Amino acid sequence: MASTACFVIVSKNDIPIYEAEVGSAPKKEDLAYHHQFILHAALDVVQDLAWTTNAMFLRSVDRFNDLVVSVYVTAGHTRFMLLHDSRSEDGIKSFFQEVHELYIKIFLNPLYLPGSRIASSHFDTKVRALARKYLYIRGIY
Amino acid sequence: MGREVSESCVDGVVMEMVAAYCGRFYAAKPELAAGRIEAIGFQVGHQLSERYTMERPRFTDHLEAIKFICKDFWSELFKKQIDNLKTNHRGTFVLQDNHFRWLTRVSLDPAVESTDATENDSGSLGDSAAQTTSMLLYFPCGLIRGALTNLGIPCAVSADMSNLPACELNHSSP
Repeated sequence: MASTACFVIVSKNDIPIYEAEVGSAPKKEDLAYHHQFILHAALDVVQDLAWTTNAMFLRSVDRFNDLVVSVYVTAGHTRFMLLHDSRSEDGIKSFFQEVHELYIKIFLNPLYLPGSRIASSHFDTKVRALARKYLYIRGIY
Repeated sequence: MGREVSESCVDGVVMEMVAAYCGRFYAAKPELAAGRIEAIGFQVGHQLSERYTMERPRFTDHLEAIKFICKDFWSELFKKQIDNLKTNHRGTFVLQDNHFRWLTRVSLDPAVESTDATENDSGSLGDSAAQTTSMLLYFPCGLIRGALTNLGIPCAVSADMSNLPACELNHSSP
């Protein structure tokens, strides 16, 4: 059962600093653009919602057909956004928390300019590994 | 991510950094040295605030962010909280620390002062001694400015030490 999932990190200046297709569906170019469009459109909703609560994990903030956007906001107003088909909430929350730790490690690097693209391949590998671990139901591929 | 460094190392690094920037890199231009030290503090504060806010819920307004700086951030850095917080309700906050950790080991050069150097000497400082000590304060000013900027509050921070080892930090947002 192929699943779609697209993960984007948006900095507080509304610039995407990292994006990855972490779904197990085969890659198709126009689908990738479609996903980016949905995620960017959801940014407005996130902006409104972020000020109403002091939680970090905002659950699904937007729907498009059968795809759901879930968002996690940090104190520095960096948004982790995940576009996925319906999936368990706990898995998504744990995924976000682990990516947050990885993100802080990148952030603590004195040679990293905050707000610039995350180009580290190590980070990319780890995010994809975490996605495989938390976002997929075991045994169904 | 819970590893720690010994405090004497931190003290040593900060003092050596200030001495290097004032004495060697920008010896004739103290304003440039101060600017560089403050910029270093800005980046460190930026990163530290991201790290220390990870576990806790986000902030809903400015006052909560300032309180976080006074309590959690300060106790992570200096093992104590800010002693006094004052505001004029128009954007200026004064944070007062009566026993600022990085200043407790500062001694006044005996060639300049006639009295012996002690930790709690609060007599009037000679001009050059005051200048060297005030250089030490640019780093914590930058720290606070970096932390607050990351939390969404752009501001300017200035320090004032009228009596050692107490020190006041004024932060005003436009």
